[in-house]
Amino acid sequence: MRKMKFNKYILLLSLALTGAVFTGCQEDYEAVPLEQFTEDFVFSNTDSLGVQAKRYLNAVYYFLPNGHNRVWADYLDAATDDAVSSAITENDVTRLARGQYTAQSTLGSEMNWGRYYQGIRMATTFINNIDVVPLMETFNDGQPLNSAWKSEARFVRAYLYFQLVKRFGGVPLLGDEAPTLEDDLELPRNSVEECVDFIVTELDDIRDSLRIMPISDLNSNGHVVTREAAMALKSRVLLYAASPLFNGGNIDRANPLTGYPSADPIRWKDAADAAKYFIDSYSFFDLLPEYKDIFITSANSEIIFHRQGGNNREIETRNGPVGFIGVNLGDGRTSPSQNLVDAFPMKNGKAISDPTSGYDPANMYVNRDPRLKATILHNGATWLTEVLETFDGGVNNPTGSVQKTKTSYYLRKFMGNFENENEYSDTRHDWIMFRYAEILLNYAEAQNEFAGPSPEIYQVLIDIRNRAGIEPGDDGLYGLKAGMTKEEMRAAIHNERRIEFAFEEHRYYDLRRWKEAETVMNQPIRGLQIVKSGNNFNFREIVVFEPSFDQRQYLYPIPYDEVVKNRNMIQNPGWEL
Amino acid sequence: MQLFSLSYAQQITLTGIVTSSDGETLPGVNVFIEGTTKGTITDFDGNYELSVNSGDKVIFSFIGFKKEEIVVRNQKVQDVVMAPDINALEEVVAVGYGQTKRITSTGSVSAIQARELQTVPTANVQNALYGKMPGFFTQQRSGQPGRDASDFFIRGASSLNDAGNQPLIIVDDVQYSFDQLSQINVNEIESISILKDASTTAVYGIKGANGVLVIRTRRGKEGKPQVNLRVESGLQMPVRKPKFLNSYQTAMLVNEAYANDGLQPQFSQEDLDLFQSGTDPYGHPDVNWYDEIFKDVAFQQNANVDFSGGSERLKYFISGGAFSQNGLVRDFNDPLNEVNTNYFYRRFNYRTNLDFQVTESTSLRLDITSRFGNINEPRGQNVTGEIYDFSKIHPYSAPVINPNGTYAYAVDTEEKLPTINARIANGGYNRIRRTDSNILFSANQKLNFLLDGLEVSGRLAYSSIEENQRQVFRGSFPTYHYDPDNDLYTIDPRQNYAYGEYAVLGSQNRFTRDLNIQGFMNYTQTFNMDHNVNLGLIYNRQSRETKSNVPENFEGYTAKLNYNFKDKYLFDFNAAYNGTDRFAKENRFGFFPAVGVGYSISEEPFFKGMFYNVQLLKIRASYGLVGSDVAFGNRYLYKQVYNSGFGYIFGEDNNTSYQTIYEGNLGNDNVTWEKARKFNVGIDANLFDKLSVTVDYFYDYRFDQLVTQQDVPDILGIGISPSNIGETENQGFDGQISYQTKIGSDFHFNTSFVFSYAKNKVLFKAEAEQAYPWLQETGRPIGQPFGYTFLGFYSEDDIARNNDSNPDNDVAAPVSDVPIQAGDLKYMDLNEDGVIDNFDRGPIGKPNLPNTTLGWSLGGYFKGFTVNVLFQGSFNYSFSVVGTGIEPFKSQFQPIHLDRWTPETAETASFPRLTSNPTTVNSSSAFMSDFWLVDAWYIRLKTVDLGYQIPQRILPFNINKARLYVNAYNLLTLTSYDKYQQDPEISTNTAGDAYMNQRVVNLGVQITF
Repeated sequence: MRKMKFNKYILLLSLALTGAVFTGCQEDYEAVPLEQFTEDFVFSNTDSLGVQAKRYLNAVYYFLPNGHNRVWADYLDAATDDAVSSAITENDVTRLARGQYTAQSTLGSEMNWGRYYQGIRMATTFINNIDVVPLMETFNDGQPLNSAWKSEARFVRAYLYFQLVKRFGGVPLLGDEAPTLEDDLELPRNSVEECVDFIVTELDDIRDSLRIMPISDLNSNGHVVTREAAMALKSRVLLYAASPLFNGGNIDRANPLTGYPSADPIRWKDAADAAKYFIDSYSFFDLLPEYKDIFITSANSEIIFHRQGGNNREIETRNGPVGFIGVNLGDGRTSPSQNLVDAFPMKNGKAISDPTSGYDPANMYVNRDPRLKATILHNGATWLTEVLETFDGGVNNPTGSVQKTKTSYYLRKFMGNFENENEYSDTRHDWIMFRYAEILLNYAEAQNEFAGPSPEIYQVLIDIRNRAGIEPGDDGLYGLKAGMTKEEMRAAIHNERRIEFAFEEHRYYDLRRWKEAETVMNQPIRGLQIVKSGNNFNFREIVVFEPSFDQRQYLYPIPYDEVVKNRNMIQNPGWEL
Repeated sequence: MQLFSLSYAQQITLTGIVTSSDGETLPGVNVFIEGTTKGTITDFDGNYELSVNSGDKVIFSFIGFKKEEIVVRNQKVQDVVMAPDINALEEVVAVGYGQTKRITSTGSVSAIQARELQTVPTANVQNALYGKMPGFFTQQRSGQPGRDASDFFIRGASSLNDAGNQPLIIVDDVQYSFDQLSQINVNEIESISILKDASTTAVYGIKGANGVLVIRTRRGKEGKPQVNLRVESGLQMPVRKPKFLNSYQTAMLVNEAYANDGLQPQFSQEDLDLFQSGTDPYGHPDVNWYDEIFKDVAFQQNANVDFSGGSERLKYFISGGAFSQNGLVRDFNDPLNEVNTNYFYRRFNYRTNLDFQVTESTSLRLDITSRFGNINEPRGQNVTGEIYDFSKIHPYSAPVINPNGTYAYAVDTEEKLPTINARIANGGYNRIRRTDSNILFSANQKLNFLLDGLEVSGRLAYSSIEENQRQVFRGSFPTYHYDPDNDLYTIDPRQNYAYGEYAVLGSQNRFTRDLNIQGFMNYTQTFNMDHNVNLGLIYNRQSRETKSNVPENFEGYTAKLNYNFKDKYLFDFNAAYNGTDRFAKENRFGFFPAVGVGYSISEEPFFKGMFYNVQLLKIRASYGLVGSDVAFGNRYLYKQVYNSGFGYIFGEDNNTSYQTIYEGNLGNDNVTWEKARKFNVGIDANLFDKLSVTVDYFYDYRFDQLVTQQDVPDILGIGISPSNIGETENQGFDGQISYQTKIGSDFHFNTSFVFSYAKNKVLFKAEAEQAYPWLQETGRPIGQPFGYTFLGFYSEDDIARNNDSNPDNDVAAPVSDVPIQAGDLKYMDLNEDGVIDNFDRGPIGKPNLPNTTLGWSLGGYFKGFTVNVLFQGSFNYSFSVVGTGIEPFKSQFQPIHLDRWTPETAETASFPRLTSNPTTVNSSSAFMSDFWLVDAWYIRLKTVDLGYQIPQRILPFNINKARLYVNAYNLLTLTSYDKYQQDPEISTNTAGDAYMNQRVVNLGVQITF
């Protein structure tokens, strides 16, 4: 009997203990770790400084591109006739320039469809949630900062849609809701017209709820989206919309996904008006007197919108000439072409093909547009106090299978002024998305297309050339031909954009929207082979790359998977299986 | 004087010792005279004494062993050796939360006794299980000491999640992790079972779908103290050694490749001559880095001692073990610092298993075990990989040591790294130190006063893992390039003139505590002699804390009902209701039932009369539902979590980076466990007392698998969590045929053939619809490789046709920067569009996990000599080696490269033309094809064990048993391929440069007293 009691006690005790342990465990920990952020935490109704929301907004900004060496370490312009990549293995810019991509094998570095939609979703989520946050800070005379932040996100979203449109044509517009898996995700593409209208409407809508230039507290808000940035984007969008690729030169005229169904010159007027509105309304901006300093001076008067690149030696290291040592060692990634060099006029403003220009093929770098020297490094140029040797076997062009210039040229633009410095030092390397010169040239181009040459258009080119350091000449026309026809003026403007904006991710898309790619990108890209004999150099033009372009390349293929996953997704012409 | 009388019916006192054929003395053996009730049982030491008459037939019988008979002549001493009965009907087999007998089991269980594993000289249990259990699939991915545990699968793979195929591991009813299993000392193990079907795994419910490996550890038995000592020492050698070409051959091939690429040759004829003659060992070195870095053999040692015994009240099993395995790298230690940078593994185990019978009805149990392990490796380098990697070193890069005794560096490579021996000597080590502890306390109370046959028990199991690592490294040390022409030494370009100081990095890798509480109620009763009922209810709760994370919890209830009528009609019902908190509240708990039925026709009286040679004939079937809670990625799949991202530079302040936060993957509210419906039908038969056969057929339908939908358009703009949509099926058969006999009076012979076949198929995985049927993964096996189909080499004629002006006669070719040349790999243009591109990547070969595995063992025992041999083979799988494992200029040049295509050898070549361009069609990384994917099988002489048992009579002192043995592991390997020099068990699509799998030859002695 006694024994049995003992057993019962043990039993009871163990049951009680077990029970105690179980109940003890239940509430000790949270169901989901507190350290994991949720939407409520990020968009908090008590966060009056908006600390977390600001971090989210930073992530939205993160989707804005930094174009420096963006495409697999190359500049996008290395996929145009302006340059080739110096890389010795296959890379994305050569594939772009040859059209070596298909819907099944898209080039993620340049046609990353999904990434744009990620950014669009991020922005939309922000737009829908930011009003929860009771921001104390105000702007533009007392408006709560919420509306500015919201508009900044809308700008980024519009910018990303524009990135999609210029690459793919019309794309699905998702509106103001971040989709979930329950939503119908098999959305059809909207037409180019709908996309452009959406972007432009958004930009007009946010204009007055953005901060304005100049930004007072540069250190903390130096490159927020401003109303000027919004209007600059509008100018560019309308210029693209008016351009032949979408406005009459569509690769598939009947297909509204590839452009407007019919050409309408009034779109040029809209583009011109948008640029003119900018020029007239925002007197803050001016062309920076020294061209090559635009890219290395923070917050200068020409910058409308940029992404900060920080203070570093990255551009120099990646693109600077090979053959130096220590911190001066460059990878020479970018080889500007002879085609680009030839596009620069003489210092008197006249094209080198003009017999009166004074061009001397034996001294081809003498008396040229100063922008040439600000853009490229050539054999004999001074860099880091050394005279560059890009002749065969020269210090900066060694023999052997290594990465080095393929054209005898290296990139100079974007770099600090290291001609007479002993070594590279940290330099400001922002990526400028919009600058004032573009607005001017947008205006000139659109106005010329709409109404033909006018003194105003001349003045734009004169201002640009004046700043570049071209001599005014006796007629004060800076080498421009007086009384140009519309076509002559068009050529002049096109060339001016090319040399003014070289490597700024304009030419690649300009060639497409002008529908010039089918001509330009089927011609060889040239470089120089320089052979040194004694103290003389023998120059020989060589073909360094044979690009290839056909009609379908005017728009990228929608990634194959997207077409497969979405029965309503129509592939771009020529990319169907 | 009677001794001299030869009259029959003479009374003799017969004595002797009964031992098993592997030398254990057997207490409790029934010894009796046939046809009488006269008998005895052996004592603790296996001794017996029985009065017999000459002419009597004496029978020795013991559960788990074959009966032995002797006929008494006039001997007084008769030692008996009993062979284990591999077909024993009554032998108990561990299953989930209990045990079963072969005769009454309705489920599919394979079991093995530990004595069959102890003869395998390997550190890991799972490596010892190769080829021994039907339904068990293994692959050993690496031979590195301490990291050589095989991956294993029960009945192959059926989940689309990589981690979702790992079997549950249960040691003494407590869950162990894969790495904990690999640390267990085989000496502590009593038995191992694998549970394969729903009937046996349903008790684990949400964790049972991948099969369960159940281990029981040894416990003390009543008897006088027994000490068992085992010491062994072995040699390890690589199963396969890589062979590389010498400097001369390499230089020739480099020149040839450059010529193919239109480049200038790298080596002049003078260079080549010097390489060939070897007269310039410093200017033109010729180093076989494999031979310089690796030894031929490395040692391993293993020592175990255990004490067991006990009284009625207290039984104990106490064991300790030490295992040490050295690495194959040569000793490059600097005599000044004596740092051991070699690979090695050292492990110490101890275990104390105690059973107290507190009262007649109350018993307690306390098991304590710890494992201390150290794994050492050279810091920051995979030495095999370094040797393979052509970009890091060439045979002619540098001498091993410069003539003045300084280290050299690879002057002709991009990185100009110090030579491998220099880096091993100075690069420091990475030592991972780990302690595992387990404590299990349990109390059992019989409640016969309430209900006869009822008992309850409670169990508390605690385990902890603590792992930290010490990395010692030296950032820099001087290396020189020696120029023999000018007798000049040049410091390396990093300009490290001095030896840098050693730095230490320490970190805690793991800290896990796991608390497991279990409560059992069990009721066993036999009604009316014939109705055997067993009912069990189990509560189980587990909470695991890892470092500073929120604990992971598991909770569940299990019910078991076994019923049989006269061991003839068998019925089992098992079910679990359990869940884990990795799913949302409403989706945590699932119900997993399974039924099993069996019919032992051999128990029918009519059958016994008709087929007296059939001891067992049973058919059985089971069907049920089990789950798997393993899922990849974030544990909180049902929540959308916001994450911190890269910094973003804002404002005009230089480089002021601001934090970012972004949305994480969309949460899936409905995420829950994977499920499997398993059907199994099997037959068990024992014939002629010698032959035993078990065959199972199974069909598993696995559904609700967590896979990430691939058919969601990217315009969603965000990643998604996996959802329960994948479906696969897995079917096959496995079984074992065993035969044992005795030839003559002394030769015991047994042989066993084990076979396993499992074939799976993806039924649904939310794949986007593909352009061509051959691109679909659905409908194919899990892990189906895709790639191009190799047709041969492009001929010079093909190239000429592509270059002529007539596009109609073109041969399909890829669009590439590098034009196709003769001798390149030519692939089939599946969609016939003239271009080789992604659309031509069809299914090629087979998945990497073999779907067939066989084992054949042979064993014999003759007068103290034992021999056991096991052949094991895996079939029906594919693998490829890429990158630094095979591709020229990524890998060192290998003998296969000598068979490259050249215009002269176009007919006989077995390798494409050589090129230094890494992106051509000849690269397996860029263009995977069935040229690279070998259709593989292998057969191994897996283990050989030879032993001699010294007759006890001549042993001194109290030694009970002394056994000398020599055994071997991976002794011979036969493979189906010659393209690669890697082991057949490497992971596919890798460079195959993991530490070489080892062959071991081991010598040992076992003493019991």
